[in-house]
Amino acid sequence: MPIQAIQMTLTQTLVMGLLQIVVVLIAVFIMVPLLTFAERKVIGYIQVRLGATRLAGGHVGITGPMNRVMWSMGKVPMLSILRGLPIFIADALKLITKEDIIPAKADRGVFTLAPIISVMAAFGVFAAVAYYPGVMFYLPKGFPIVGGLPFQGFITDVNVGLLFILGLASVGVYGIVLGAWASNSKYPLLGGLRSAAQIVSYEVPLTLSLLVPVLLAGSLNFKEMSILLATGKGLHPLAIIPLFIGFFVYLTCGFAETNRVPFDLPEAETELVAGFHTEYSGMKFGFFYLAEYANMIVVSALATAFFLGGHYLLPFGLQRFIPETVPFLGQPSFIFFLGKVCFILFVFLWVRATLPRYRYDQLMDVAWKYLLPLTLVNLFIAALIRFAF
Amino acid sequence: MFKNEEMEINLGPQHPSTHGVLRVKLRLDGETVTKCTPIIGYLHRGVEKICENQTYFQGQVWTDRMDYVASISNNLGWAEGVEKLFGIEVPRRAKYIRTMLTEQNRLASHLLWLATHALDIGAMTVFLYAFREREYLLDLFEAFCGARLTTTAFRIGGLREDLPPGFIKSSQAFQDRFLACIDEYEELLTENRIWKKRTVGVAKLSAEDCIALGVTGPVLRAAGVPYDIRRAFPNAAYAEMDFEIPTRPEADTYARYLVRLAEMRQSHRIIQQCIDGLPEGPVMAKIPKILRSEVNEVYHPIEAPKGELGYYFVGEKGGTMPYRMHVRAPSFVNLQALSKMTEGRLLADVIAAIGTLDVVLGEIDR
Repeated sequence: MPIQAIQMTLTQTLVMGLLQIVVVLIAVFIMVPLLTFAERKVIGYIQVRLGATRLAGGHVGITGPMNRVMWSMGKVPMLSILRGLPIFIADALKLITKEDIIPAKADRGVFTLAPIISVMAAFGVFAAVAYYPGVMFYLPKGFPIVGGLPFQGFITDVNVGLLFILGLASVGVYGIVLGAWASNSKYPLLGGLRSAAQIVSYEVPLTLSLLVPVLLAGSLNFKEMSILLATGKGLHPLAIIPLFIGFFVYLTCGFAETNRVPFDLPEAETELVAGFHTEYSGMKFGFFYLAEYANMIVVSALATAFFLGGHYLLPFGLQRFIPETVPFLGQPSFIFFLGKVCFILFVFLWVRATLPRYRYDQLMDVAWKYLLPLTLVNLFIAALIRFAF
Repeated sequence: MFKNEEMEINLGPQHPSTHGVLRVKLRLDGETVTKCTPIIGYLHRGVEKICENQTYFQGQVWTDRMDYVASISNNLGWAEGVEKLFGIEVPRRAKYIRTMLTEQNRLASHLLWLATHALDIGAMTVFLYAFREREYLLDLFEAFCGARLTTTAFRIGGLREDLPPGFIKSSQAFQDRFLACIDEYEELLTENRIWKKRTVGVAKLSAEDCIALGVTGPVLRAAGVPYDIRRAFPNAAYAEMDFEIPTRPEADTYARYLVRLAEMRQSHRIIQQCIDGLPEGPVMAKIPKILRSEVNEVYHPIEAPKGELGYYFVGEKGGTMPYRMHVRAPSFVNLQALSKMTEGRLLADVIAAIGTLDVVLGEIDR
């Protein structure tokens, strides 16, 4: 979809940018709690239990009367599958109102700075993520200052977007390491050391696996890359091979980057109590929590955009087999993007419920002995396909 | 240029994976454990001394509180030990029921071990699957004696009452589905790459070391020694039962996992034989209201889920209470092996080793 260059005044640009930032932030702040709810429910059902049930499914409270009526009619209340949904509000309230303790021997400044770095790195990445590469809709004419202007599906169109994302994402580890170090406590220290080693190691195969789409698309711009890789224009049919391998390598590294099972060593609760955030409480802990889930969303969005065909229906450049004239299925849609992101997020939860945790040295083995050679070979294949055919 | 020093950390007594109040003092060089010292005693109640001041009938209540996840095994050891001291012969039906309940308790104990061991290594789903079956077993115990954990299931001379109506039927229902449940756990773990990586070759303890340290139970059998008291010194109705003693030669965490799972299948077999061959008759022997002992001493070992559980009684002339009572608790003896298993290994292996030893602190501290 071609994007017309529209002349905007400086004020309009600023207001438009602010508007988009607010929209993206709200979206993330909605998705993160929903994700925690989904985590409770998905893992609950996998483990033959119900997950969170304490709210909105019982006989008391705001929804109580409705539930009572439905039970008396012999029906299961329609909210019963969503029971526990409002728990994310309770979670947020708890985190905000809880006493914020700074240990006496901690480095106060760095201790406070660490969660801020973590959450900033996690949220800053969204600036370059194109969740829809084009105009999503036009603002109504009556809108103050920016009325009638197009609302685009990305905040900024950085021409080295991927580099920006990778750079900012790797800043996130400083939050963890500094927080662990500043706590001045033994378990967080071990967690922080593990985290530093782990994230630095996995950054290498992660970046190399993302080089495959970069090489194939010949661009670093998020928007251009996702369109090109999805539609498969100019891509050799064999390009599906490196993309397919790259996807799995990327996803594995993404699990490690976000400290999720089976790579959740920095916060392995059976070994390190709570890992790097053992000493954190209240909203400072909440920031780490937010950052982890925001990072999961970023990893899913990147995997979707570069490997799974982004906002088009079919992954790995298979979209070329559906002509653009086909309504809906042939057209780009935000729904496809969201659906794929949700699927990868589900995989995160699914894996968490299924797999045990790696040991520290095995984790390093996986990164350096298996993933790194695999990505290098994969990159070579991609280069061969790009330049030899 | 750089100062290199070892870090000392305390694992426990309040720690998610030390199963109770075990405290392990670790010296770490990076992530490598250089010294590992288990420190016990946080749950000490003086059970042995208390039992010396209570009659033989009352003492059994305290055995529930030693290995609280396998209290029926502890009850069996106490009841049989006292019966041996007084030369009481228990009716055959009571022996069968005792055997059945003890084996069901072994399943409950092994299920709890599997659940927590898997959880420690990070596989959280197995935890809930195993607890689902354990719940059913606890319901059975509740039907039998009214308590789920601290059962005090037996009486000196037999049982207080016969099985409640419907107990055999519920047990059979459990029997019918349990093998499929074991398959389900195996599906999640046995061939799981990460599970194997975390357990194969981890926390090795050779047969020589096991014997030198007095380690018994599944840990010994996973080192290739087919020593099982149910076979070596048959008690209850085990002499009439047909079962195998699973062993593995590898002597590592994975071997212990396989041995315990195989033991669960054997327990299932024994329970089935008890249900099928349950004899008719009384469940209580004729015994006097007050037991007065002669000068006598008795050591009675049984095969508890954790290993050899031995009760040692010394009776005095005309005494209604044991003059001396001592318990050889398998967890206590097995815990000695922890340092040997973990020194020179990584921190995460300590967690796996504690899990694979299957210790219960109530029994260690007594």
